[in-house]
Amino acid sequence: MNEEQLAKHLRDRPVKLKEAKEKGVKIIGYFPGNYVPEEIIYASGAIPICLTDGGNPHPADTALSVVPQIICPFARAQLGERLLKTNPYYSMLDMLVAPITCQHLKKVAEIWEYYGDIKVFKLGIPHQSDGNFELEYFTDRLRALKDRLEAFTGKEITNAKIREAIELYNRMRGLFKNISLLRRNLSPPLTALDFVKLNHASFYADPAFMVDTLESLCKELEKSQRTDKSNRPRLLLVGPNLAHGDYEILKLIEAAGGEVVVEELCEGMRYYWHPIGNNGDPFQSLAQGYLMDRVPCAFMRSSAKKRLDFALQLIADFRASGVIWYELQCCEAYDQESYYFSKKMNERNIPMLIVESNYDISDAGPLRNRIDAFIELVKGGPDHA
Amino acid sequence: MLELLTLCGYEANEMEMELPRVRKAFTKLGITNEDIEVGKKRLTTYFDIELKGVRKLFGVFVRELVNITLAKEEGKKKIIHGCMAPSFEILGSALRSNSKDVFVLVPNPPFMVVFGFIFDKFVPILEAAEKQWMKSGLVSHCAMVKTRLGLFALNLIPRPDLLITSGSLCETSPKTNDLLHELYDIPTHCYDTVQDREFWEYPDSTRAIQLSAKGMRRMVQRVQEEVGFEITDEMLREVLRVKGSFTAAVNKIHELIRSSDPVPIGSTHDNLMMWLGPVPLSIDSLILATDAVNTLYNELQERVDRGVGALEKGSPKIFSILPVHHTDPRLEHLVNQVGMAIVATDMEFNATSGLPASTVAATNDPYEAMSQYLQSSLLHHLGGRISIILEACKRLKVDGVLNHYHVGCRSVAGDAFIIKDEITKKLGIPVLSLEWENFDPRVYQHEQYKTRLELFKSMIKTRG
Repeated sequence: MNEEQLAKHLRDRPVKLKEAKEKGVKIIGYFPGNYVPEEIIYASGAIPICLTDGGNPHPADTALSVVPQIICPFARAQLGERLLKTNPYYSMLDMLVAPITCQHLKKVAEIWEYYGDIKVFKLGIPHQSDGNFELEYFTDRLRALKDRLEAFTGKEITNAKIREAIELYNRMRGLFKNISLLRRNLSPPLTALDFVKLNHASFYADPAFMVDTLESLCKELEKSQRTDKSNRPRLLLVGPNLAHGDYEILKLIEAAGGEVVVEELCEGMRYYWHPIGNNGDPFQSLAQGYLMDRVPCAFMRSSAKKRLDFALQLIADFRASGVIWYELQCCEAYDQESYYFSKKMNERNIPMLIVESNYDISDAGPLRNRIDAFIELVKGGPDHA
Repeated sequence: MLELLTLCGYEANEMEMELPRVRKAFTKLGITNEDIEVGKKRLTTYFDIELKGVRKLFGVFVRELVNITLAKEEGKKKIIHGCMAPSFEILGSALRSNSKDVFVLVPNPPFMVVFGFIFDKFVPILEAAEKQWMKSGLVSHCAMVKTRLGLFALNLIPRPDLLITSGSLCETSPKTNDLLHELYDIPTHCYDTVQDREFWEYPDSTRAIQLSAKGMRRMVQRVQEEVGFEITDEMLREVLRVKGSFTAAVNKIHELIRSSDPVPIGSTHDNLMMWLGPVPLSIDSLILATDAVNTLYNELQERVDRGVGALEKGSPKIFSILPVHHTDPRLEHLVNQVGMAIVATDMEFNATSGLPASTVAATNDPYEAMSQYLQSSLLHHLGGRISIILEACKRLKVDGVLNHYHVGCRSVAGDAFIIKDEITKKLGIPVLSLEWENFDPRVYQHEQYKTRLELFKSMIKTRG
């Protein structure tokens, strides 16, 4: 991969988007969590941008004038960016598609809607993913999104265009999956921070450019696979959210000598484990893929066991010897679930560390100490003794 | 004990018959003679216990608590437990009215009233939950849900054959059931809607209501599998009719309080009527509860006719966002002591032209009728809530707003600051915002609240 090319693309992206906007192309933002099919936005001729900035305390703190601290720092950051008007991606939006997922992002969507300065489409996400009428409901809401986008952009969204978009995004998902699977290697070919940044880049970059970049990277990584074994303890990172810019946790783990080899995160990272079906009615395929086939986030009903099973599978496949549970402060669903995961990991003698973040710089010291101690503990475990 | 039961509206003949059951239940629940002394004192301190209607209302909760506690040993074969499940009580009432073997409980209201209001021993239930997975601290898990977990942890309620909740308002309750299922093997079911109504659609909620009705039908199918008999639409309609009379009786009291000066009763009592709403009483018990509310109405009307009130005439009228505290009467008592009357809460209003939230809509489909709760202030999006609150404040010509937001609920707490700004901008009346926990008595800070309430009152007076 030409890293410089991707970096330049991202540097130039706000300017390019502004130019496109001046030519009448709509810029449509959406909140992360992998419940908004970008394919429909892309097929409308608009440019989808996933709003996933976080990690910086300033926007999150700015939002405290609007909501209490009980709203998680990532959700507050989405309000803060809107209030500060300094982040180009947030300032240039023509419309927001807000998936109604957890209470935090639901509240942010309501507040954006209440301010009324840009169009908001609330995309209802049924919180149960094993029933027929929920699937029908979600399919209907995707059609409603299509209608809204057509009215907004003035362009017809044909099934053929959506299928093309599914094809493009499936390629992207497939490439991320291939790269991720290379990290099963005992000496992973790229660091977690690099992988996460690459994943985040895909939310802002032009998707066709991103696919080309990933293809080239994938080839490079496949060629350069090493056979030696890293001594760093291999870890699974689990949590509600890892925002674009929220990299302190990964840096601390790396500095402490640990290696995150795979992530299971609800928001912030592109979900790449399953492709979207591309035969038949594209709305049904998208609903099936985005709601039913994927691993559910913790806010979904009866999700704890499904998520645990998936995490255990990742641990086995990626030969992880510990879990870092990275939770955002006030995230009630993940906080409850951490108890369950911790208990179940403990039963299997898999060490697990629960850390919380409020995007507060002063947390870094104590966090470093805890991560250092945890890595030492994992190093002393059966795989590293 | 007899004195306590008298204060809770037990008649002499009933007391003789019920005393062994009450004693047995109280022993199981760990309610001691000292607790009973505390209870008698609190009932006379915080409540107009000389009113027969108030005593009868307390009696409904005590009876329900006894029934819950003894359900298993009195031979109930199926136990269905609901919590944070709007309109589940309609199904529950239908089940209790049509089967001797099935017992349906929504334990939080009776435990909150009896353990909280009366005996002041609610905190151990919350602490028990905090020792499990609903930890204390900044995450602020809702104490309503903690109560469920605490009751299980302390073995204060019978183990259910099915545990039901709804995710209409939050993830905390379904997630708790999820973990109760995974860790304790308790069968669970959750019904939902999707909260994607947009502001431009307001007040139309057809989409959310129809989806909710589908979820409720599936919930009833699940319950039928458990209890082994059909729950017909007519069974539900019958409960809805009786519940409608109960709601109408409560609404009469609300209107009387709103329109009277001085207000005829203190603000601590509202919880007694509101908290009967989610209790799945049998139809016979619902009729008795309605009788208690009507008795209270007649007594209050008589006070109004005589010009007698709980506060001085001319006391500022306050609108409360979110209801009175559910386990602790001290804040509302203090509001009254400072000389202000809470005359309404946003829970009493909905999106359809100021009709009371619990009014059953004119739909023949019982499931759609049961899903009308989605029109209430609490279940609406920010824009809807603001519209409902502004409309109600204007209609009632209140002097100020007590904006005590329940910090355990992301949805309502997230609205609080913007609601305050909108009231201030659009109505120009003072708003007192308090970070608050509607179900946890540990939130109460007497000196701080007293100072802030006195300041709030002087702001109102200055403006007036």
